[in-house]
Amino acid sequence: MNDEAREKLVSLLSRASGMPVNVEAVTALSGGAASATYAVDAVRGGAQWPLILQCAAAGDVPVGGFPKADQAALQMLARYKGIPVAEVVAVLEPGDALGEGFVMARIAGEALAPRYLKRDEFAKARAAMTRQCAAVLARLHRIPLAEVSHLKLPTGRVDEALARSFAHYKAIGVNSPVMDLAFAWVAERCGTAEPASIVHGDFRSGNFIVDENGLAAVLDWELGHLGEGAEDLGWLCANAWRFGVWQKPVGGFGEREELYDAYAAAGGARVDRQRAHMWEVWGTLRWAMSCLQLGNDHVTGRVKSVERAAIGRRVSEVELDLLHLIRFGDI
Amino acid sequence: MSEQIEADVLVLAVADFIRSIEGELTGRSAFHAKVAANALAIVAREMAQAPREAECAALAGYLGHDAGIDALRAEICGRLRAGQLTPETPGLLEALTTAVLAKVATDNPRYSTFVRMTAK
Repeated sequence: MNDEAREKLVSLLSRASGMPVNVEAVTALSGGAASATYAVDAVRGGAQWPLILQCAAAGDVPVGGFPKADQAALQMLARYKGIPVAEVVAVLEPGDALGEGFVMARIAGEALAPRYLKRDEFAKARAAMTRQCAAVLARLHRIPLAEVSHLKLPTGRVDEALARSFAHYKAIGVNSPVMDLAFAWVAERCGTAEPASIVHGDFRSGNFIVDENGLAAVLDWELGHLGEGAEDLGWLCANAWRFGVWQKPVGGFGEREELYDAYAAAGGARVDRQRAHMWEVWGTLRWAMSCLQLGNDHVTGRVKSVERAAIGRRVSEVELDLLHLIRFGDI
Repeated sequence: MSEQIEADVLVLAVADFIRSIEGELTGRSAFHAKVAANALAIVAREMAQAPREAECAALAGYLGHDAGIDALRAEICGRLRAGQLTPETPGLLEALTTAVLAKVATDNPRYSTFVRMTAK
């Protein structure tokens, strides 16, 4: 971040908090495809004020995407509903000349899933997380859609979402017999349900902040959309997010039955096992699509990097997960 | 051995070199160095294991005729899209499993599902 952008950030934060703010350091964190994220070490009234700035990567969200200001509004709504989410401090406006984005509190805790899934000091946290995740999703999924009618959340029937993904797959032009088979398998089963819930869209163990008591914050609401709540449950159980702890199907820390029971107990719908399985297969197929797309970014030159090229080679492991799920009904 | 230093030896030497300098790097460069060394390990396994041939044999065996790997993959995808093959078609899942196991043996043999399915 250059000096000019930093000055703009200082004046934005001063305006938002109604008192002078100093910014001591801005550190670029993971550079996702859609967002750029920075850790901001600010000082306000003599006290450290740790923040996160999240901006659209190319400055603005592409047409049809979920606007950053609306993502901030969704996070604020989720927080109001009792979901652990970082407090939004300021939303960037056109006059700020920093592009689209917002600033939120930086929650203390462990963000690296391989650490909190394996280290002893998080054993108590892991034991609590299945119920905590179930409660978060139950709360999110029962928010009436009328409360978000002013937000530009992407929406559509489940079969339309599948058709969009299949068109994207065909456009990439790689022939994967297993992915074609999985698309056909999901198409036979997904039905034509209209959206009934707010779906987080990326609810997985890589998007949590975890402290010694468990789930401290749910991050990355940029894939929020309207759909079927069970989609979030299936995505949480995809093998990729277990980081090798495959014996624990819920994010590498829990059991499905406990997740479903706690979800119903917290006010969520009763989970149909076949439906949940369908969403696990679809979630796994979605991860295969992400690997394929990231590899394609390298091949087409959109984003050339050894990381994206290597992720393209992870399609095969996800194909194996798809075959296991479809053949044996479980993974 | 026609050369003292075959291509696979070179590839692994470069992978070892990258790993040796990883500690001198920080942040994104250190991460990319780790990824790069792993990518070279994939290249070395691919040269040793020839997974394309195994995939070709599995798909050709299922379809009952020989062709190049691209044509075999395209034929199965096309027949799935046309509904001539379905996930329930006898033998299809098994043939695809054989093909994909050969690919994962090269791409990521430490992957949990690969370890589970080859230990049985």
